[in-house]
Amino acid sequence: MRGRNVVFASLIALLAASGLAQADQVQIRLWHMEQPPQRVARVQQLIDEFNKSNPGIVVKQEPQNWGEVYAKAPAAIAAGNAPEILFAIPDFTTVIRSLGALTSVKDFTDKLNAEHHFIPATLRPYEYDGGVWAVPLYNMAISLWYRHSVFDKAGLKPPQTWSEWRKDAETLTKAGMYGAGLPANKQLYTDQTVYAMMVNNGAAQLFNDDGSLRFNNPKTVEAFSFYKDMFKYSAPDATNWTWGEAEACFDANKCGTVLQFTVISTYNEQGGDPADLGVAAVPRADTEASSNTISYSNAAMILAKDPAKRQAAERFISFLLEPANYGRFLNMEPGLFLPATEDGAKAPSFWNDPLAVKYKLQIETMIANSQHGMLFGFTTDKVFPSIGAISAQNILAETLQRIVTGGETPAAAVAAGQKEMEQAAK
Amino acid sequence: MLIWLGVTLLYPLVSSAALSLENVRIIGSAGRFVGLANYLSVLSSAAFWLALERSVVWVAGNAVAQTVLAMASALILEQAFPGVRVARTWIVLTWIVPTIVIVIVWRWLLSTSGGMINPFLIELGVIRRPMGFFSSSVSAMTTLILINSWRWFPFVAVMLLAGLQRIPGELYEAAAIDGASRFARFRRITLPLLQPTLFVLLVIGTLLSFNVFDIVWLLTGGGPADATTTLPILIYRTAFKGYRLSEAAAMSVIATLLLMGLAILAVRTLAPREEVR
Repeated sequence: MRGRNVVFASLIALLAASGLAQADQVQIRLWHMEQPPQRVARVQQLIDEFNKSNPGIVVKQEPQNWGEVYAKAPAAIAAGNAPEILFAIPDFTTVIRSLGALTSVKDFTDKLNAEHHFIPATLRPYEYDGGVWAVPLYNMAISLWYRHSVFDKAGLKPPQTWSEWRKDAETLTKAGMYGAGLPANKQLYTDQTVYAMMVNNGAAQLFNDDGSLRFNNPKTVEAFSFYKDMFKYSAPDATNWTWGEAEACFDANKCGTVLQFTVISTYNEQGGDPADLGVAAVPRADTEASSNTISYSNAAMILAKDPAKRQAAERFISFLLEPANYGRFLNMEPGLFLPATEDGAKAPSFWNDPLAVKYKLQIETMIANSQHGMLFGFTTDKVFPSIGAISAQNILAETLQRIVTGGETPAAAVAAGQKEMEQAAK
Repeated sequence: MLIWLGVTLLYPLVSSAALSLENVRIIGSAGRFVGLANYLSVLSSAAFWLALERSVVWVAGNAVAQTVLAMASALILEQAFPGVRVARTWIVLTWIVPTIVIVIVWRWLLSTSGGMINPFLIELGVIRRPMGFFSSSVSAMTTLILINSWRWFPFVAVMLLAGLQRIPGELYEAAAIDGASRFARFRRITLPLLQPTLFVLLVIGTLLSFNVFDIVWLLTGGGPADATTTLPILIYRTAFKGYRLSEAAAMSVIATLLLMGLAILAVRTLAPREEVR
């Protein structure tokens, strides 16, 4: 009996001691939306290294998914249970900011910029209203993917213009493939591919300077008309494609070209030959001088209000951006996440990854393409909060669906899309 | 128990109703009282009525498909044949598998980039080239109804089987002696005696089908071009994509009242009045 009491008392003392120790430590919860297991594992590896070298801080990750986080994060904030660090894309930041949950991190990004030199296109979408609302971490930009062997066999060259792309797609489709694997589902991927067409026809801006919408204009209508033309070369079930399906079509060698951020991982897993994988800039309209693309600067928002937690969050983000760690962070999905900093773009930790070695040429092209990246709603230094709702409702994709499924003309669909955006902006 | 029901049932309902009288946009943000403005907006919205219409189509389609599949299954499983016990156990497989697994399986089966269904139909001569099952309004809704019915018909079949097993065998024997055909026995004995079970399934099935969200959202997201945007989908999108939480709450209240009204009407008009002898 006495022995049992001693054991019990020791257990209580141990628990109390660990509780006290935890109370001394600063707890940081990280919400990110990179759910695939290999990404979670890589983030955990970096977290473990950080926690070991910073005994007073404990970082824990809680992976989320993009489909839920637009609702889940505001709910967590309302419940007083927000994470200390929340990854973001630019329009998501406007949603969180509208809840009063963000404080400018300009001082912090200025310090990081001096050290690592952010690529301007990655910082721009977070810099408005006199502040900087998130710290850029990684970039993603859409490119055109194809196989050299398929093009060589058909006697084709990688397209640079819309008319070349249309001709290539037609030739490939006659040869038994889907010449252009383009999606038309009402979701973010379709928004992205639609916008990739729009920016290549001078229709990059959604808003006028006064905040009114300018979606309904001839250049936008032309872009949707072109998408409609190209869509006939896509798979019959592309109206229901999610992100993985265009890539699956390409990997199965059923789609001759796709617009994607990357296909490297899955292509490699399927045993693809690196020398056969081609990547090019998104084709531009025949009247445009150069190609552009859609790019997403992904960033980290600091939601913590407590000074100790903010400082700890800043230390963790700084740790991630250190060149020795940054490449490993980006290569949680080799070939998908591109550097947001100049020193990161040169870091051996980025280029030494086995997949980066294997697909060096492709990744260099992706980085070059990303320099001409834009994002709808973030093309000027004026950012209007309604972009959050416009993006969340996938109105670009909905406009496309009106055309390819609903049978509306591009002009009518774009006019309806403008009305939807105006409704969302109210 | 009453307190528990009150807390878990009444509180959310009352909260939703209160939310519907405000103008809250994003969850957690403040709103002010706007009276019935959200209800007026919803009831004058074409999107709401179209979504309701699609919900009616969805419920009716599921009711027919599930009843036919379930009745056929139950009649077969009522027979004695080798393996009937195994069949009675494993028929519930589609019902117990998580929805996400079902969605992944069906997306893969229906895919034009390696799915089995298209090559099979081409081989049978039913279609000449691969088709997108979710690429048109009609095919998307039809495909969704069939997949959802495939998922849920075992539940209905199990209920019907229980009902069938309660029917005295002597009735069939007597009818057979009197020269009644199989169809006549089904029409004059089976159907009338299954009425109580069918009635319960009609009410529960309608309520459950109406509120199905997961399989629609995961398979089509309400597309293409809103062709499968039923009322639950519209409510979700309005609340969490459109950031119009109060308006979505108003839609939910209207939907709740509609379903309550339907259930009461069904009980009053369709409930079996006496045991059929």
